[in-house]
Amino acid sequence: MDAASDHGPDAQGQLDRLLDEDPADLYENAPMGYLSTLPDGRIVKVNRTFCVWTGRPVEDVVGSRFQDLLSVGGRVFHETHLRPLLRMQGAVREIALDVVRIDGSLLPCLLNAVEVRDEDGAQVLVRATLFEATARRRYERELLAAQRAAEESEARSRTLQQVVSDLAAATTVGDVAKVIVERGRKALRARGAAVLLVDEPSDGAIETPELHTEGVDGLPPGLIDVLREAALGQLALELAQGVRSVPLNEQLRLRQPRLAATMADAGLSELVVVPVTADSRRLGVLVVGLGDGHGDLISLEEPGQTQGPPPAEVDLLWTLGRQAGQALERARLHEETARQAERAAFLLEAARMLAEAVDAEETVQRVAHLVVGRLADVCAVDLVDEHGMVRPTVRHRDPARQDLADELRERHLPQRGSPHPSVQALREGRTVWARSLSEEFLAAITHDARHLEVVRELGLVSMISVPFLSEGRPLGVLTLAADAQRGRFTEADVEVAEQLALQMGLVVGKAQRYELDMRTSHTLQANLLPGVPPEVPGLRTAVRYLAATHGVEVGGDFYDVVPLPGGQVALAVGDVVGHDITAAATMGQLTSVYRALLVDGPSPSATIDRLQASWPMLGLQRMATALFVTLDPASGQLAIASAGHLPPLLFSAGSAEFLPVRPSRMLGAPQAPAPATQWAGVLPAGGTLVLFTDGLVESRTADIDEGLELLRAAVSRAGTSDPDELCDRLLTELTGAHRADDIALLVLTRLP
Amino acid sequence: MVDVLERNRVRVAGVPAGRPMLFAHGFGCDQEMWRFVAPDFEVDHKVVLFDHVGSGKSDLSAYDPEKYGSLQGYADDVVEICRALDLSDVVFVGHSVSAMIGVLAYQRAPELFGALVMVGPSPRYVDDEGYVGGFTRSDILGLLDALDSNHLGWSTQMAPVIMGNPDRPELAAELTNSFCSTDPDIARQFARVTFLSDNRADLPTVAVPTLVLQCSADVIAPDPVGTYVHEHVPGSVLTHLAATGHCPNLSAPEETTAAIRAFLSG
Repeated sequence: MDAASDHGPDAQGQLDRLLDEDPADLYENAPMGYLSTLPDGRIVKVNRTFCVWTGRPVEDVVGSRFQDLLSVGGRVFHETHLRPLLRMQGAVREIALDVVRIDGSLLPCLLNAVEVRDEDGAQVLVRATLFEATARRRYERELLAAQRAAEESEARSRTLQQVVSDLAAATTVGDVAKVIVERGRKALRARGAAVLLVDEPSDGAIETPELHTEGVDGLPPGLIDVLREAALGQLALELAQGVRSVPLNEQLRLRQPRLAATMADAGLSELVVVPVTADSRRLGVLVVGLGDGHGDLISLEEPGQTQGPPPAEVDLLWTLGRQAGQALERARLHEETARQAERAAFLLEAARMLAEAVDAEETVQRVAHLVVGRLADVCAVDLVDEHGMVRPTVRHRDPARQDLADELRERHLPQRGSPHPSVQALREGRTVWARSLSEEFLAAITHDARHLEVVRELGLVSMISVPFLSEGRPLGVLTLAADAQRGRFTEADVEVAEQLALQMGLVVGKAQRYELDMRTSHTLQANLLPGVPPEVPGLRTAVRYLAATHGVEVGGDFYDVVPLPGGQVALAVGDVVGHDITAAATMGQLTSVYRALLVDGPSPSATIDRLQASWPMLGLQRMATALFVTLDPASGQLAIASAGHLPPLLFSAGSAEFLPVRPSRMLGAPQAPAPATQWAGVLPAGGTLVLFTDGLVESRTADIDEGLELLRAAVSRAGTSDPDELCDRLLTELTGAHRADDIALLVLTRLP
Repeated sequence: MVDVLERNRVRVAGVPAGRPMLFAHGFGCDQEMWRFVAPDFEVDHKVVLFDHVGSGKSDLSAYDPEKYGSLQGYADDVVEICRALDLSDVVFVGHSVSAMIGVLAYQRAPELFGALVMVGPSPRYVDDEGYVGGFTRSDILGLLDALDSNHLGWSTQMAPVIMGNPDRPELAAELTNSFCSTDPDIARQFARVTFLSDNRADLPTVAVPTLVLQCSADVIAPDPVGTYVHEHVPGSVLTHLAATGHCPNLSAPEETTAAIRAFLSG
């Protein structure tokens, strides 16, 4: 065939014939669907193409409503957009609709339509053409899907970026948990989220590590416990595998009815659990709770048919978990550094405070006070004494809960042989650290139901008991306990507790020794002093002995009243130099020797001479001052000699005067050439004699003459000659709350 | 300070001293939906028309996905409009989803409203146990697909032309489908909020005279739904219209107008 025949007259004729189309054929077989409807959508005319495309016979199509041939989505769109647009602008173009074929499959179309109106503008007819758009619509869908994926990926990058920057600012484990909970929740538009951390970061050595909740938001309080229970303590272990979804479905309802019920109550349809790891270490899990639908809207997922998060979100969560893990490690390091500084400061403060404490009791009170402020929620101190264990203090951080602590102190002492850490620590002489307190453990360390109840109410989660020693001897136990809010004790806490116990051992040991010395001295002195002076006819006497108010010092002060054969009475007041147990012992010996000398009835000056002479033989190590007196109650005859002692005071007829007794040298001082002198006089009837040691008139701020004058004035003013009354009056007036020295006071009145 | 009237493209017409009627369009198009109904009321009412944010010629920059993630966001706008215009004893005429927006606005500020007219209302589109809404979840998914396939000539380049030149309507007129065209993302979220809300519990709180207009053969709000609304709004009046479909305000404006007038004078 040559080229000319293509365009020859015959060919032209054929083309003319083809173009001279039959309009009916053109309508019926046009390469598009064509239909006309009444305003309500009823189809009144349709072409063959449409019927062929949809597989529907023409008689079925005519009479049905156009919208009824559309997919449900198309039907709604028809009502909400297409019909209004037609009414408002008379025509629509390029509307995408799916027509349902007779076999139920969809025919994606593009529709153009015009409205035919009558003269009044009312709609009479709608003419519509439909073009098949399968390939085009598929392509558009793919484009849209790609665009959505890109947008979501961008949103995920933004989330991740935000997380990284938030985490960089988080310096504490709590901050990290907060960021992760908040961001994890947002990323999945979840109802709530929680972060659970492994107590001891592990690299897999512990099979089922314990978890505690570090941060939670929007999840019901009991959910985490129920979840943990459902996982049989294997939560962290299982979840190390990867992101896991726990949907609320029939299977869960069957196998974990409690978990399912808790989720249903909280309106959750799914839990997503994400491992939090750093390198290969499992640090914990992030739990995200998804609800039905977003916010208050109805979920598009059929009830009970949750799909789990899409893979891209799983990846995001996985990355989130790893970022969180690294941030946690960083925060822990940061916290550890801060804690170390804090601990050092704490121990320093403890040392300063302990140095100021004056006795064991005050020491433990102060330690307990300091400890509950910083290191623990409850602090108890047990001390060993001769009867066994005593518990001077139990303190709680919260004053509102101190009553529980008091009850522990008063009523629930740990019993001998109990596995209580405090008892165990004392018995074994080592630190006992109960990392976590199981229900069985609490039951074992308590001795009755109420005790257990108190311990439960305190909500304790961890305990440390450290014994404190002095020179290898156990003095007591320091016990610290932490509640859930503080969290369990760490190794570092144990270290601080041990260092504190070390300090306590030194201070309490020293204080106890000091107290023992003091007690011994005072007991000794009390035993050496004569008791109540004997009744002497014609005289009324009163004596007082006041120990110094502070320190272990015991003075060697003494007084003595001895009736002599023949009706006379011997009086003595003295003061051995020094304030210690040796002084007290010397005083004891001195008074014994003095009593022995009295058998021969020596005069006061002779008494001094004899004591001076025998001093080196007695082996007494201290010197002493003393005043020796003999008095005849019947006549009032007085003889007085002083060995370096302050003169006595005579109160008679309303006036008080110091008697001019010339003192000789002190007892035990090097030998003097002359014997002791003696003053002789009379104590008038009704007159009063006051003998005293220097503690009564000495003060740190004034010299002794002023002190003596104060005494004289006080006696003059007293207006009484009753010895007891006068003793009390003088002590009240001349001594304060603090006495640097002991006081011995002897007052006697010669009855008229 | 947000200019509420500008944001929602509020138009006020009719008798300034007349009883205010606030017409709220439903999901799909804009205030033009009332073009055959509103003029009739302008002779004796103060007629207020507006576009929901994200629809028609409202201020698209005011669209906050958080706020408009629930119908309450739209209801709060209605209250703001009433307050901005100092309206009271308002007859709120809500088409389709706006019927429920009216209920929520009434709950927020009952003192503003004197009557509710619900045109083709549905408190919940998705079927539930013991409740027929007319749609399954997969139907709604299909609808969202249909929306994705139809951007109605929307393009970001043309958006400023459509939205930013209310004083040059000839520009907008050149665009196809302009009345129902808006940002596809907004349309998609509005569709979700419309078709996935559940306001059944709010119906019994309405304590003003209420008219429920039920069309024939309405695929969006079928008969049982209208009956449900009528039964749950205390003292409401249910009027069946001969008009078919979901938009009697366009397809049968005279019948719609007459029914509303009968209710208001009743």
